[in-house]
Parts: sequence; structure tokens; C-alpha cells
Amino acid sequence: MKSSILAMSVIAATGLAAPAFADKLDDIISSGTLRCAVVLDFPPMGSRDESNTPIGFDVDYCNDLAAALGVEAEIVETTFPERIPALMSGRVDVAVASTSDTLERAKTVGFSIPYYAFENAVVANEGVEMADWEGMRGKTVGATAGTYEAIWLEEKVAEWGEGSFRPYQNQADVFLALSQGQLDATVSTVEVAEANVASGNFPGIKIVDKAPMVPDYVALITLREEYGLINYMNLFINQQVRTGRYDELYEKWVGEGEPADLTVQGVYR
Amino acid sequence: MFFDTALSTNDLIFLARGAGMTLIVTAISVFFGTVMGIVFGVFRYQVGPWWAAPLTFVLDIFRSIPLLIQLVLANAFVTTVLGWRVSGFTVACGVLSLYTAAYCAEIVRGGIEAVPPTLRRAARSLGMSWGQDMTSVVMPLAARIALPSWIGLALGVMKDSALVYVVQVVELLKSAQILITRLQEPLFLLIVCGSFYFLISFPIARFGGYLERKWSRD
Amino acid sequence: MFNYNFRWAQALNSLPRMLEGALVTLEVALLSMVIGIAIAILLTLFRLSGSRILGAIAATWVEIARNTPALFQIYMVHFGLGGFGIHLSPYLSLLIGIAFNNAGYLSENFRGALKGIPDTQTRSARSLGMTPLQAFRHVVMPQMLRISFLPMTNQMVWAILMTSLGTVVAMNTDLYGVTSDLNARTFRTFELFAIAAVIFYLITKTVTLSARLLAARLFRY
Repeated sequence: MKSSILAMSVIAATGLAAPAFADKLDDIISSGTLRCAVVLDFPPMGSRDESNTPIGFDVDYCNDLAAALGVEAEIVETTFPERIPALMSGRVDVAVASTSDTLERAKTVGFSIPYYAFENAVVANEGVEMADWEGMRGKTVGATAGTYEAIWLEEKVAEWGEGSFRPYQNQADVFLALSQGQLDATVSTVEVAEANVASGNFPGIKIVDKAPMVPDYVALITLREEYGLINYMNLFINQQVRTGRYDELYEKWVGEGEPADLTVQGVYR
Repeated sequence: MFFDTALSTNDLIFLARGAGMTLIVTAISVFFGTVMGIVFGVFRYQVGPWWAAPLTFVLDIFRSIPLLIQLVLANAFVTTVLGWRVSGFTVACGVLSLYTAAYCAEIVRGGIEAVPPTLRRAARSLGMSWGQDMTSVVMPLAARIALPSWIGLALGVMKDSALVYVVQVVELLKSAQILITRLQEPLFLLIVCGSFYFLISFPIARFGGYLERKWSRD
Repeated sequence: MFNYNFRWAQALNSLPRMLEGALVTLEVALLSMVIGIAIAILLTLFRLSGSRILGAIAATWVEIARNTPALFQIYMVHFGLGGFGIHLSPYLSLLIGIAFNNAGYLSENFRGALKGIPDTQTRSARSLGMTPLQAFRHVVMPQMLRISFLPMTNQMVWAILMTSLGTVVAMNTDLYGVTSDLNARTFRTFELFAIAAVIFYLITKTVTLSARLLAARLFRY
């Protein structure tokens, strides 16, 4: 009698403990949906079409990942500063949000291998005399709060000791402020800069120069402890390149040409 | 140029959905906030300031910290610290309800205090129970005094609900910002969005002012 | 109990920066109140002037300030005026946005206060040879401000809380701005915002308590 109670409680205990072994990868597969944080004011990576449906490189990338997992994709729009809090708060499973793989962030979230690499450009208001990126010295500059380029630019302004830095909450506000002349210049990815200049939505802006930053490698992120999912995403990114899907998406959203090399010469990941 | 807009029917529906979200969040929060506010307000009045001190302290916090911080904190606490899977909508309604309750409790207490004690003693000496006194004497009188302030509170909550974008709820102002991103017509869209708030708030606020004037006369 | 690892030490390292931000918050709130009260008095005069146009200007101001979200007002000051080539720094946009809001609400409070001041006072002041403006300045206004002292304290608390909205116009030196900047770097959301909440609480409590003490001293009779 006593032993049967013991046996039952052991069974009960293992039964209760069992779900704890299911990791996020299992959770996603069993729930049938992959919730991706995507930034939608960041063309061509993320934006909305005429019917306000999310589109872009990151949106397609999330859909591909969901398809590989055999689940439905759910796009959750976040701003740049909100994407990691959204992940940490369990609002989303992964962020496919052009997240630069900085060491500071790696203390909090888990990064996959890079899935894209940006170069950054300096964009200025046409009314401002600016020959190259150093022309930003002493000017009023701004970028999207919480991004790689914002952190770089804020440090530059602090280093120069003149001019001022403004972190706007989203990319659209930055370009709006730039177009209105509230900002003299900003730093953004070449893709975003070219798309915004070409769209004609922001009159009075021009691309000045490349920003002197190392290529900005961006990765998929999830919770730091989810190794199973991180491993899966690494292989997934490898397959995207191997199967030519990476080139295909690049051509669809960015244009003709070679997409950036995702490997670094001379070192292992 | 001003009214030559690229806004399509689709976009209008999108905006309308945002407006609907604003109204739903407001309605839920005002409802639960008012129920809690009445309970807290009556409790505070009934037990006296000494015993109600802990409750007073907690409610006071909601009125002393920016709503934006309340939302960010509650979201971080519930989802990251406790690890619950809760939608942003739920967090938004929860925080806004408590926020409403904190203000509503003050209004309710003020309303009850404004009922002359002699009147209540008279009611009790007629043989009415506490409950009867509360429902048939205090409530009708206190409600009259409190209603204009309560209308102001409800409208305040509607305007403050613009901040729930921070927990990924797409309400009216956020929908407008999304459209601004695509259409680049900031002035026009913001004016449309501001007018919506105005057109709901203004008549109701006027009605509240009318009630206040009317009831303070007799 | 919690799976979450609190890292208070890391967040507390940022306390000096946050306290500097708190000073900026207090500064913006105080300035917005001074400007707001001045404009509210002006709007009250507009309403009393009997002029249709001035009355309409005052009414429009008050109704827009009271019937649209403060967030919208601040955003409009920055990007709305920006569309007309009027460029204001984040600091000024926030300050003007809050002052606009303060003026609207306070003017309405002043109007309520005026009802409590009998007309006969103005008339007797006028019969003593004062101009209407003098009568307002020396007889009506002091009483109006005294009656409105409590609503003004409340508005000051509101002004402090509203500084948090500066984030939409790229304000990054006030308490909320500093906190979200730190959050964007370290993602210790709960710890950082909990500290910010405590600081905000202490500021608003200090302001209400000192207002109460001030009222006790000023209006002793």
C-alpha cells in the first residue's frame, strides 16, 4: 500500500516534471505557431503594403522559418527599442528584426549565426553642407533608439564633444525629422537609406557617404537558454544560403547584385 | 496639398480598427476600474483613514507614477519575472483598470463624504440597515456629486489609453503612426486621429459640465 | 520562486545618471507650470474680455488641450510645427507641449474659481477708480490663484508625469529618457523602470507635501 502510494507519487512527479523538458522548439511545434517580432518601418526588411499587410525580407524570412518548422507564422510588429523586451516578455518566440549581434546584447539574448549584413550610410538634409561622414561633427544628428547605428552615433557625438544626438522611437520619425530639417543628418543602413530616397516620401534628403563602421552583421534572436532553437536556426540560415533562397530574397527585396558574404575570413563562428 | 491624400478605404478600415481598440480598452478599463473604485472608496470611507492606510498607499502609487512606466513595469513583471504568457491587451487592460480604480476611489470617497451625516443618521434612526442607508440614501446623492468627475475620469482614461502602444497593442494613435510610416502624411493623419479623440471627448465633456451646472443649482 | 535573475547592482550603477535625469524632469515640469499659469491667466482674461475673437481663441485652446491625448499634443508640437518649418529641440517640444496642456486645464480651473468670487468685488474696485485690468490684477486674481491652489498642485503632479511622454520627440535627458536609453543598452527592463518608478514617486510626493506646507503658510488667515 505504502509502496504503491510512493510509486504513484513518483509517476505523478515525473508526469508533472515532464513538461519542463519541453523546450521552446517543442513548444513552437506543438503550439502550431511561430511568433516573430518584425520591425515594420524598416524597408526593405520590413514594411506594410497598400492593404497594411506586413511585407519585406524579414517577413519572408520568418515565413520560411515557420514553413521549415511546419507551423504557421505570426508577425508581431515591434519598434526597434521594443523588440528585445517583446522577446524577453514571451510576447514572441523569436525576433527576425535585423538585430545586430553585439556582445552587450548577447548577455541578455541568444544569437544565431548572421543571416544578413548591412553597410551603413550617412544621410543628410539637402540644405546641409556635408562632404563626408566627418561632416556630422557639431551637427544635430539622430537615429532610431536602441539600434546599432544609434549607439555608434551617440558615442561619436560624445567623443566629438559638440553637436547633439537625438534618439527617435522609430525609423519613420527619424526620416521625417530629417526631411523636415529638424535633423541635419542620420546614419542608417544603405538599404533603408536607398529605399527611402527612392520612394520620394521624404523630400530633401541625400546620401552623403558610407559610415565607417565594420559590416553590421544581424542575426535571429531568441531567449539565451534556448539552445535547441538556436541550433535549429543556425542550420536553417545555412540552408537558406545553400539552397539559394538567400540570393532569391535579396533580389526580391533589395535588388540586383551580390548579397553580403555572411562569413568572416580567418575565424570560426 | 493638404487634403489631397493617398488614404484608401483599406487605410480607413485600418484606422477604424485602431479606434475600435481604443474604445474597447477604454470600456473594459473604465468598467472594472469603476467597480473596483467603488469597492475601494466605500472601504476607505468605512474603515477610516488609519485602517485604510495600506490601501490608500497602494492606490496612491498609481497616481504618482507615469502611466507609461506602470505599463512597462507591469509588462516586464508579469511576463519576464513571473514568466506568464499574457497578451499585451490583457496587461494594458489590467494596468488601466487599476489606474482608473485609484482615481475612482477618490471620487467615490469624496461623493460619500459630501452626503450630510445628519441625513444618514436620520435614515438609520428610521430603522434602515447600513445596506439600505448606503443604497437608498447615500448612493443616489453621492452619485450625483460624483458623476461629473467620473465622466472626466472616463474621458481621461480614453486619452491615456494612447500609451498602451508600449505593450504592442495597436490602438488609434499607433495605427495612425503605422500609416504615417507608409504614406508620409504626418500632418493630415495626425489631425484625423486628433479629431477622433476630440469628437468623442468634447460632447461628453460638455454633457458632464452641463450636469455639473444643473445639479449644483438645485 | 522566480526563474528570473534580478540584477539590481547593475541597474543601481546607473542611479547617478537617473538622478540627473530626475532634475531635468523637475525643471521641465516647473517651467511648464510657470508658462502654463501665465498663459492660463491670459486665456482667462480673453474669456472675460467680452471680445468674440479672443473668447473663441481661448475656448479653442482649452478644448483642444482638454479633449486630445497629451501624447498627441507633444507629437504635434514637434512634427506638426516641423512641417511648417518651425524646428524645436526635443526639450522645447516637450516643454511647450506640457505648457499647452497645463494652460488649458488651469484656465478651466480658474474659470471655476472665478465663480466663487462675487461680482460686487470687481464693481466696488471699479468704483474706487481702478481700471478693469487693475481690478483683476489686485482684487480678483489673488483670490482666484488661492482658490485654485489645490488644482494647481494636481496639475504640477500631472506635468511631472507627462515629462515621460518626451520619448516620442527624442527627448533623452529626462528621467524617462535616461531610463529607456539605459534599457536599450542593457535590457534590465524591470530593474531600471522599478528604480525610475520609485524616483518618480518620491518626486511627486515631495511636490505635494511641500505644496501642502506652502499652502498652510500662505493661506493662514
